[in-house]
Formats: sequence, C-alpha cells, structure tokens
Amino acid sequence: MKALSGLDPILEHRVRLGICVLLARHEEISFSRFKEQLQVTDGNLGAQLRRLEEQGYIGLRRDFVERKPVTWYRLTAAGRQALDRHLDALRQLISAAE
Amino acid sequence: MTDVEKIKENLDYVSSAVRAGDSHGGIPALYFMWGALIAIGFALPDLAPQLAAPYWLIAGIGGGLFSWWWGARNARRQGVNDTALGRRYGLHWTIAGVAFLLCFLPLAAGRLPAETGATNFLLAAGLAYALAGVHLERPLLYSGLLMLAAYGVLVLLSPPYAWTLTGLVAGAGLVWAGLGRRAALRGGSVR
Repeated sequence: MKALSGLDPILEHRVRLGICVLLARHEEISFSRFKEQLQVTDGNLGAQLRRLEEQGYIGLRRDFVERKPVTWYRLTAAGRQALDRHLDALRQLISAAE
Repeated sequence: MTDVEKIKENLDYVSSAVRAGDSHGGIPALYFMWGALIAIGFALPDLAPQLAAPYWLIAGIGGGLFSWWWGARNARRQGVNDTALGRRYGLHWTIAGVAFLLCFLPLAAGRLPAETGATNFLLAAGLAYALAGVHLERPLLYSGLLMLAAYGVLVLLSPPYAWTLTGLVAGAGLVWAGLGRRAALRGGSVR
C-alpha cells in the first residue's frame, strides 16, 4: 500500500511520535515534562530522544530553571517536515481503511 | 496485531499524552490578585475619586507586568517554553488595555457622566475576559459572561454606586474562576 511506504520508520515508535507531536504544539519542552506526559522511564525517554536527535528531528539546549539544570528540546525544520509527511501517510492509511 | 491496529493504538497513546498536557486554566493566584485589584480600583471613583487614576496607573501596569512574569515563570517550572503563546496572551491583554483606555476617553473629555462611563468599562472587561476564555483560559469565559450579564442589569436599572457594583461583579467573577481552577488543580484532573 502506498500510504504504508510513506510512513517514517523513526516516527513509527509511539514515544518518538508523541515527542514530535508535543513539540509541534509547543516551542520547547523539558525532559521531565516529557517523562510525565508520556509516562515513560528516564532510560526509555532518553533513548528515544537521542534517536530523534541523531536523526536531526529535534534539537536541545541546556539551561537552569531556579538553579536546577533543565534540558529543553525543540522540533527542527527537518523534524517538522518528517512529522507532516508521517501524519499525511497516516491520514491516507486511515481513509483507505474506512 | 495488524499494522492498522498497531497504528490505532499508537495514535490513542499520543492523543492521550497530548490531552494530559493541555493547560488552559490559568493560575489561581493571578485570578485572585486581579479580582482584588479590580474590586478596589472600581470602588475608588465612588469612594475616593482622586486616587482612581494613580491607582490604575500603578496597579494596571504593575499588575500586567507581574502577571506576565509570573505566567512565564510558571510555564518554565512546568517544563514548557512557548513564546508564541506568550505573544498571544500579551496581544490579547494589550488590546484589552487599549479598550480600557478608550473607555476612559469620554470620561476625561467630560462627554459622559461617570455613572454611564462605569458600565462601558464593564462591557469592555466582559468582552476581554469572555474572549480570553475562548482563546486562552476557559475559566475566564464564565467570569466574562457574568460581567456581560451584569452590564445588562446595570444599564437597564442604573443603580447607585455603579462603579463599586461593577468592580464587585468583575472581582467576584474572577475569584469564582480562580476557585474553580484551584479546585480542578487540587483534584488532579488538570495540570
């Protein structure tokens, strides 16, 4: 099926998809907020974030909030394009299944 | 599990994660602060007219800046940095501020009696808060609607101490919104 081939293998993982969708809604999100919202462990979240970062889909910066170190993540232009393509393929897939 | 079932399950997971982070309720402390500032500020034209202008100059601008700072601080503590949303808040309340200044214009020019002028502030506040409820923070919708209802009553009945009554209604609306928001936060149903 054509729509299936349009799916991005990186974004087929639900935690990675969740990270990108959340970052599409907000400019920057912290590690701890992701952990709380996605209900995942530190190790799993760290691994998925690293994978997205290696792919160039997200960027990060380190900062301090009330003297505590915070890592902020944001979606890159490449990440946004990949997410748009992936969601488009999902839409096609769902309409084909209906 | 088929591909379609797996995709559906993944989408359910993502949508519940997105819903878990939705925050459109505002900060209770700011509702209480503005409820008090408005109730006091609106009573001044009736009780101590000479203090009204300096009060609003300090409380209006100071309160606005403090709300901006507190809102940004709160968002960062919750792990979200969103300048686009901050700009939307800023634009909305700046336009509301301009509307309040325009309400003051006919009073300053002596073209409108003070009693009639008070209700214009309530109309502008009601619209500003109701629209903020639509676009920014849902609890503000109900306080805005309460202010608009009070505007209708004040215009039709013209009671004495119109400014004070206006401030009390607007302040009560905000305190109501703040209490609702605080209860929701304590109940853990929202972030």
